[in-house]
Amino acid sequence: MLFENIKESLNSIRCNKMRSLLTMLGIIIGISAVITITTIGNSLRRTLSTTFNSLGANALYMYIMARYPESEEDYLNWEYPEMDKEDYVTDEDIEKIKELYPDAIEGIAVNNFLGAGKVSDSSDNYAKVAVQGCTKDYLKYMKVDIKLGRNITDADNKKCKVSCVVADKMASNYFKDENPIGKNIEIDMGDTGIFTFVIVGVYKYNPQMQGGSDEKNVPEKDRITPIYTSYNTVSKLNKEDNYGYENFTIILNPSSNIKDSSANVKLYFDEKYADNKDFQIESFDAASELEMIDNIINIVTIAISAIAAISLIVGGVGVMNIMLVSITERTKEIGIRMALGAKRKTIRVQFLIEAVIICLIGGLIGVTIGIVNGYLLGGIVKMAVQSAYEEYASYIIFNVQPSLTAINISLFFSMLTGVFFGYYPANKAAKMEVIDALRYE
Amino acid sequence: MESTIHMENIIKRYYIGKPNELQILNGISLDINDGEFVSIVGESGSGKSTLMNIIGVLDRQTEGGYFLDGIDVNKMSDDMRSNVRNEKIGFVFQNFNLLPRATALKNVMIPLMYGKKKQKDAKERAMEMLEMVGMADRAKHKPNELSGGQKQRVAIARAMINNPSIILADEPTGALDSKTGHMVMDIFHKLHEEQGKTIVLITHSQELASETQRIITLSDGNIIKVKAGEEDAI
Repeated sequence: MLFENIKESLNSIRCNKMRSLLTMLGIIIGISAVITITTIGNSLRRTLSTTFNSLGANALYMYIMARYPESEEDYLNWEYPEMDKEDYVTDEDIEKIKELYPDAIEGIAVNNFLGAGKVSDSSDNYAKVAVQGCTKDYLKYMKVDIKLGRNITDADNKKCKVSCVVADKMASNYFKDENPIGKNIEIDMGDTGIFTFVIVGVYKYNPQMQGGSDEKNVPEKDRITPIYTSYNTVSKLNKEDNYGYENFTIILNPSSNIKDSSANVKLYFDEKYADNKDFQIESFDAASELEMIDNIINIVTIAISAIAAISLIVGGVGVMNIMLVSITERTKEIGIRMALGAKRKTIRVQFLIEAVIICLIGGLIGVTIGIVNGYLLGGIVKMAVQSAYEEYASYIIFNVQPSLTAINISLFFSMLTGVFFGYYPANKAAKMEVIDALRYE
Repeated sequence: MESTIHMENIIKRYYIGKPNELQILNGISLDINDGEFVSIVGESGSGKSTLMNIIGVLDRQTEGGYFLDGIDVNKMSDDMRSNVRNEKIGFVFQNFNLLPRATALKNVMIPLMYGKKKQKDAKERAMEMLEMVGMADRAKHKPNELSGGQKQRVAIARAMINNPSIILADEPTGALDSKTGHMVMDIFHKLHEEQGKTIVLITHSQELASETQRIITLSDGNIIKVKAGEEDAI
């Protein structure tokens, strides 16, 4: 019976193609708008989460900040305090955290800069470099891939060794076929001085690295590549007092519970600074930041979808209108069916199914158009963003992904629209008196 | 012998309580026996179609009792009335009343769709009916591809598909020329003689009426004459 009704409805829709299409139009527009919006929203969320993850969702960025006076009067006479030795975060803190919460963190990523300079030998062979100091975890955190030799170690850091890691590009340009490991390089930094380093490793160069340059108009040979040495080495060469770190990134263990680990680290530092009158520690963590942005996008998507869904009501009224016309037009048919034994509820179900099917077909067309729209708009957004931020193009992975939940909900609501707006006309058909309907011309 | 159709003092009024109140049937009492072939004749406006609509459970009388196979139709629910129309009565209308979008076969199958019992061999049964009226070769045609006589034969096939005991034919030949009209009448005779169906034929043609067993003449909502037809005389 249900199958018969569905066939009957499809037949009736087929017989009135243009009218059915116009009836569906409201539904189609509503659903396609909702699907377009949710597709874009969904894609945006996915893009953000993959981008955040690639930038390190397990990173907890922290910085030491002065405590501001609470009252306004105090604030007027307040000056930013000088940092003392005990105000810094040190490697001992990291060791303590590792002891207190094993497996919570991997290490600390910090870097500092010595400056840019030039390596050259007696012939006119040269390479332009920029020297950075870093902890051993920094290179790991920045996903710097050591191809040859070794990474910067804690020992390098403790003893302020002049060991360094150079780019493969620099090595092949400067040393040609020779093995660069163990070679000394002299870097001329002009006013800063001339420094000698020993190459202990070679890493795979990536033009997006901090400190490198990849400008198209600069000849290949003149492009600057970063050289990494230890953090303490750089601060010693910079003649700085090195008491510890002021801002740094704690790398959480990705296989641990990131939220708990992050909370534990914050707890440790909050306790450390609890008695400090002048300074406190602030943190910024990508995961909770992402969660917040995610929530915002979600709310915006739902809100806009809800507005778009209003057109479903308009569409529904359209369906009701056409169903009423259709029922008046088919009064005779209803009369014949009743004369041949159709019960009132049978007639009601028949027209209800017809309305639902019209809405469902409209919904399916809407979903299809919405997905196509989503891909088109997604493509435009991707192109726009990538041309606006060309240097980050490879980071922005904008994958258009229609939201399956939204599609299901949309189809469910279009069916619901059919039931809601189809009931009145169907009931009107069912309430007809058989003899009046049969005599209707 | 119990009457299939038993009517007592049937009155039908329209526009009740309004200034233009109209009484169409003025107390019709009528018995039609099982297996009888009866014709109801009368001028247009005499109330014969109204009477037929009441007999066919399409319309309700204003007053009076109507018993179909001994059951009081007045006490039936809407659903029961639908069932009676579906199972007990086969309708043949002057203007055929076929669904224009459906093929002849589909049209014949409609009553099966609304029946209580699930019909597994619906198609076969519908084809059988079409064969009986000689329309099997047109099963796939839509009504607008059929002639008047052919349409009426499809309508008769549809009326017969649930094997009803009563056939109600309202001016079945009214829209047909006399030759096809006779063809349709022959089918009714066949159904009456071979299957013993009770047939009520409404017509204004004395010639057709005279082929039936009993002629009931209506005028202004009253039965003015009941006369045995030629068939009975033979």
